[in-house]
Amino acid sequence: MRPTNELPAIVRLGDDALLVTFAQAISWDVGVRVRSAARLVREMRLESVTDVVPAYATLAVYFDSSRDSFESLAASVANVVNAIEGHIDDDSALIEIPVRYNGPDLVEVAERTGLTVEEVIQRHSSRTYRAYMSGFVPGFAYLGDLDQSLILPRRTVPRVRVPAGSVAIAGEQTAVYPLETPGGWHLIGTTSVTMFDAKRDPPVLVRAGDTVRFVKID
Amino acid sequence: MIVVIAAPPFATVQDLGRSGFRDLGVPVSGVADRDSSVALNSLLGNDVNAAMIEWAVAGGALRFGCSATVAVGGADAVCSVNGNALRAWTPVDVSAGDEVLVERIVRGRFLLIAVRGGIDVPIVLGSRSTLLSAGIGGFDGRRLRNGDRLSIGDSIVGVAGRAGAAPHVLNIGEAIHVMRGPQSALFDDHAWAAFLSAGFTVSRASDRTGYRLEGATMKHDGSASLPSEPTCVGAIQVPDGGEPIVIMQDGPTVGGYPKIAVVRSNYLSRFAQLAPGDAVRFVLDA
Repeated sequence: MRPTNELPAIVRLGDDALLVTFAQAISWDVGVRVRSAARLVREMRLESVTDVVPAYATLAVYFDSSRDSFESLAASVANVVNAIEGHIDDDSALIEIPVRYNGPDLVEVAERTGLTVEEVIQRHSSRTYRAYMSGFVPGFAYLGDLDQSLILPRRTVPRVRVPAGSVAIAGEQTAVYPLETPGGWHLIGTTSVTMFDAKRDPPVLVRAGDTVRFVKID
Repeated sequence: MIVVIAAPPFATVQDLGRSGFRDLGVPVSGVADRDSSVALNSLLGNDVNAAMIEWAVAGGALRFGCSATVAVGGADAVCSVNGNALRAWTPVDVSAGDEVLVERIVRGRFLLIAVRGGIDVPIVLGSRSTLLSAGIGGFDGRRLRNGDRLSIGDSIVGVAGRAGAAPHVLNIGEAIHVMRGPQSALFDDHAWAAFLSAGFTVSRASDRTGYRLEGATMKHDGSASLPSEPTCVGAIQVPDGGEPIVIMQDGPTVGGYPKIAVVRSNYLSRFAQLAPGDAVRFVLDA
């Protein structure tokens, strides 16, 4: 295992997980490395491993601590992490999501960005996004990069309830809320597409590594 | 068949939870007090993963539509069967028409009501556990309501015992052991001193997604630049406001707040039993 001041670094995430940090900042290339490592860890098919979760720049490996120790799992994971060379997301999909641009924050986003509502819609729907990370709640995918002119900080007071299917922006990212949850992003539209369905395989529409386009509908 | 006659404000069906879907944002769910669940299933001769009712907040009642063996544990509660006291950790045979009454929860958060064979609900993504946010698992993906009819399963591996011991004792102000979290170095000596010396109180704004703690704030630097990363049950996150939130079974799978510490796995069940208003303090294991 490498010392912690050198990346990638492996530390404990509680008694039943380890966390591999690949970088301190978000980038697409780092995400590709993280997902490649996740795939290689899964392919080892270690019996003690229960979940493998890639994030922006980190990878968590959850394990049954009655069947394996942190030290031995960390050694196996370190071998894999050090073996990654230029893997790509070869099973990524292109997903089109129809959007009605009717969100309650659309006008405010236009005002705060100095754009017209039409320009906001045009700039949001004309880009091709990539899913950097899945998580937070089932089916949520963090999509980037947003057009620079649309970048706004999160709302200062998050909403207690954001309806499922809300299309939202915050920072350099955009996303669809798959479920009704609290949320602090700016709601600019809605989609009727189901982002998470436990009866589907896979249950989520968008996975990390996928490519997403929003298509404006009336 | 078990009929819910008087549902408490919060009761769901849970087993030991789901694995293999966290990378899609699906939390582990499952009973919050795993130790008690494992002990009850062992007492009843059930498979360790048999589902049971996780019952919280207030009293209520169940009526059995068939003979069965029932056992309760977890939170300290006043329970009875047809008027006779139902002792915790003690399997009791009931007949069709018998009623199990939960008068009140005295101490702790989650009373577990288990039956021999387990509660039989459809397996969703590998588990019978309810995940309310997604409306999946358990009984129709929701809290139990009056009139719900629960089937009893056949998750049986052995004979039922006579009585068992509580796997842990609920102490108010309990010392919960933690280990350093991935961002422990973002917190200076003052922050660590506050974290370990101050007692905390479990906030009312606590549920199966996370327990908020009140009492002390911990300053840190660098949270704004931390990319969201995987969390775990028991992770103690510190938002910019400085009051910690402990991630629980239905919590978010990723988060961007620095994690000062993580609750040791052998203390998670005890921690989960802390109810709003209960005191808690943390001890750092080297």
